[in-house]
Amino acid sequence: MFSYYLQLAIKSLKSTPTTTLLMVLAIACGIGISMTALTLNHMTGNNPIPEKSSQLFSVQLQASGKTSEWRTIDNMPVQLTYQDAVNLMRGMPEYKHTAMYKTGFSVRSLDPKFTPFLRSTRLTTRHFFSMFNIRFLHGAPWSETVDKNPTLQVVINNDLNEKLFGGGDNTGKEMLLNDKVFQIVGIIEAWQPKPKFYDVNNGAFQAAEQVFIPFILSGVHEFESWGNNNGWKEEHSNTYQDKLASETLWIQYWAELLTEQAKDEFQQYLAGYVAEQKKLARFERDDARGILRDVQQWLDYNNVVGNDSYVLVAVSFMFLTVCLVNSIGLLLAKFLRSAPSVGVRRALGASKGQVFAQHLVEVGVLGLIGGLLGLVFAYLGLTLLKNNFDGFDFVATMDMTMFFAAPVIAVSATVLAGIYPAWRVCTTLPSIYLKTQ
Amino acid sequence: MLKMSSINKVYQTELVQTHALRDFSLSVKEGEFVAVTGPSGSGKTTFLNIAGLLENISSGDFQLDGQSIVGLSDSELSRLRNEKIGFIFQGFNLIPDLNLFENVDVPLRYRGFSRKERKQKIEQALEMVGLAARMKHLPSQLSGGQQQRVAIARALAGEPKFLLADEPTGNLDSLMAKQVMELLENINKQGTTIVMVTHDPELARRTQRNIQIVDGQLCDFTMYQGGTVESVNEQEAIA
Repeated sequence: MFSYYLQLAIKSLKSTPTTTLLMVLAIACGIGISMTALTLNHMTGNNPIPEKSSQLFSVQLQASGKTSEWRTIDNMPVQLTYQDAVNLMRGMPEYKHTAMYKTGFSVRSLDPKFTPFLRSTRLTTRHFFSMFNIRFLHGAPWSETVDKNPTLQVVINNDLNEKLFGGGDNTGKEMLLNDKVFQIVGIIEAWQPKPKFYDVNNGAFQAAEQVFIPFILSGVHEFESWGNNNGWKEEHSNTYQDKLASETLWIQYWAELLTEQAKDEFQQYLAGYVAEQKKLARFERDDARGILRDVQQWLDYNNVVGNDSYVLVAVSFMFLTVCLVNSIGLLLAKFLRSAPSVGVRRALGASKGQVFAQHLVEVGVLGLIGGLLGLVFAYLGLTLLKNNFDGFDFVATMDMTMFFAAPVIAVSATVLAGIYPAWRVCTTLPSIYLKTQ
Repeated sequence: MLKMSSINKVYQTELVQTHALRDFSLSVKEGEFVAVTGPSGSGKTTFLNIAGLLENISSGDFQLDGQSIVGLSDSELSRLRNEKIGFIFQGFNLIPDLNLFENVDVPLRYRGFSRKERKQKIEQALEMVGLAARMKHLPSQLSGGQQQRVAIARALAGEPKFLLADEPTGNLDSLMAKQVMELLENINKQGTTIVMVTHDPELARRTQRNIQIVDGQLCDFTMYQGGTVESVNEQEAIA
């Protein structure tokens, strides 16, 4: 019977083109707006590394002064000082853990005719790539030796590889970062976690870096941070070297801890380090401690999906409700207008349930058409956001989940809205219309 | 075929109670052609709606083809209606968006016939009323008489035992009315029981039996046999 109901639905919708168009437009507007808001919410709330999100931990230390205030729920700074980062990297060699920060360079190939361009760059250790499951297309990370002995080696992503060399395996070749010649040891796939969880400074939806160099270079070359530098202590910090030795917080730190035991051991390691620093009178606070947060906890802690995102989704769904209420009115008028035909069908043997199902299928078809048009509206809405506002490049993109969710939401919501009109028409006394038609 | 015993039908509003049928008893045998006459508002349509299982009775008993319909669910009543009853209306009641083929197809769809069976039955039914060549036409492209013939084809396609006709010639001119009546007579001769509501005494006279309803009650019975009129008493008519 479903295919019969489908044929009847298409005939019925064609027979009232204006009413159908109005209903489709109402549903499409509602779905378009709500899917735009839902996509933004979905993409911002996306788990960027689901396969490892419970095994990767950001590291925080309460290393600030007694009266320092931080804009976090537990009053902890989100970054580490350079000296803490360097100290932490010395211990627990059995686990992968790495310090990192963002800087940037004027990048170009050795070809003198090549026009340089600015690219953000991440200083980190070789563990960064395996910890965050980054796939190498060519070559490999720099060696452990390079992590300990400053060497000008670089890993670039494939987008940059194509821009510099036109693609291909260019490991072993050299490139310029500012005025320094670096040797390319690895080329990774274009990698863009959404959100950019490992460094949420200046927004969690920034582009991932295309250039990666050894962290150890930060100790010998003056590579300033392109991220936040948070200071709490009055201290002389006139030179880059002063900054490295200061209490300024500007380093991100992550650890890969695959088991609960590993996590406990690393937690103890942090506790030991904090106790040691307290003894040295560096950590002044009574609540000085080390904290580990997995990826999801870290994103929640940093309010990556803000409350306003949820409010926007709620408002957009209210708008969808208004659109559906309008559609209910139109559906009711349309269905009651067809009540005489329903009376005939009832006389010819259709049960109330069959009439109800027939009208719900019609509503479903309407919802599907509205949903598909709503997808187009949502796409236009997201494109509009991407083209006119900063920070939407990686968020205002509809993934497959949202793509398939739109028609499902549209059909479900419309069928729900169509229950009352369908019920009204199927409970109408057929004998009234048989005599008066 | 149809046996109504002491049926009452009461329409209740907040202020008024209307007895549409009062202690109404009637028996129609299989293969009979019965005319129902009576003044407007006498309860003819209510009788027809109840006989067609479109309305419930307030009290009494009603058996259709030996089965009591009292207490049946909507889907059971719909199934009975679909399998045993064919309807012909004064206003034809064809569905305007559907062509002739699709209109005749409606009761067969609810019956669950296969596509092949449906096609065969529809073609047969339209052939019988002489409209097989126009099965792709919409009702609006036909004359009134043709539309009524389609309605008859639709009523007969599922081969019901019992045909209910409500003023089937009421909207037709005399020539068309004659043709439709002849068609109904032929159908009856093939064994289908017909109950026809009509205002036309000429048509009523062509049936086997005429019952008259006044104020919701049966009040007169006349048997027509071979053109002679034979009055019968109430007990005889009910039996």
